Amino acid sequence: MAGMSVLRVAAGFAARLNPFKQGFSNGRLLTRTTPKTESAAVRYGSHGKPMFVFKPSDYYDRRFLHLLRYYILLTGIPVAAIITYINVFIGEAELAEIPENYVPEHWEYYKHPITRWIARNLYDPPEKNYEKMMALIEIESEKAEMRRTQMDVRKLMREKGDGPWYHYETMDKSLIDYSPKSTPDN
Amino acid sequence: MPDGFDKDVYPEPPRRTPAVEKQTGLPNPADILIKLFQYTVDVPVTTFRDWVERQHERNRFYYYQQKFRRVPDLTECKLGDHLCNYEAEMQWRRDHKVDQEIVKVIKERLGACQQREGNSYLQNCDKEMNQFRQVSKAYQSRYGDLGAYGSAQKCLMKQKHRMIAERKETAAED
Repeated sequence: MAGMSVLRVAAGFAARLNPFKQGFSNGRLLTRTTPKTESAAVRYGSHGKPMFVFKPSDYYDRRFLHLLRYYILLTGIPVAAIITYINVFIGEAELAEIPENYVPEHWEYYKHPITRWIARNLYDPPEKNYEKMMALIEIESEKAEMRRTQMDVRKLMREKGDGPWYHYETMDKSLIDYSPKSTPDN
Repeated sequence: MPDGFDKDVYPEPPRRTPAVEKQTGLPNPADILIKLFQYTVDVPVTTFRDWVERQHERNRFYYYQQKFRRVPDLTECKLGDHLCNYEAEMQWRRDHKVDQEIVKVIKERLGACQQREGNSYLQNCDKEMNQFRQVSKAYQSRYGDLGAYGSAQKCLMKQKHRMIAERKETAAED
């Protein structure tokens, strides 16, 4: 009973919204004639007068949102499709024990296929980075070592004077003329 | 954790489903709702998941856990041996990460215990609580206030100060 009244209210509402379209809600389906426009009671908010509503332009807003959606989905949809394909048809790796006498490649330590692909094709293996760093450290430490030894050698040779460095050429002693100072009365 | 978890560490709580004694001839609406959920949500999702698993079965590949060799510690490195320092530093960083993961696992166990026990977790989760306290205290004392630029050398110095403080304590007691 409550349902019937709800249905009747809904039919009346539908009739009010569009008084011309009274398809199945009208009871007189079998004896249908074109309904007169005044017979349906319609109540407009503008008291029957046609109104020209002033609104600020929503052209720019709608254009912005349209362009936003367009540019996001332009790459978003292919990326989402590719990632869905990979996750469904290729799938992630399973964890397993390292087999005997087998050294896994550096990309076989990752789970997701995209990460594996990036590690295989785009990145260097972490062992290479390690070795490069160690080579740099070796070179720098050798340089520091050599510079330190050179500094020590310089100090000692200058101090003691018994090494090959710090030899300054002096004149032959036999060429010295002692005559100006040879007698006390000069 | 879908499968492959340790049943001792994450035990299942005892089931508390009561024995049903039906007194009416009417159907149980809970049963109807359960069946409804099962057929509308559970069965489609499970069949889809099984289909996806079948696609995965066709080309399986594996990933492994990388095992690193142990290298000499910072304590076993000579003073100007920068290469030894570097390798010890890298090993210390790996061990640091492992220790962080250990603390996370213990914390997760405590959380699981609290979830299992419900309102009586303060009373029943003693074992996990003690384990977590112990582990986090150990982590704090070893890696605690090293800061963002913590390195193997700073950790070693922290250990040295810890040992000095211990020695002072035992000397003060005696």
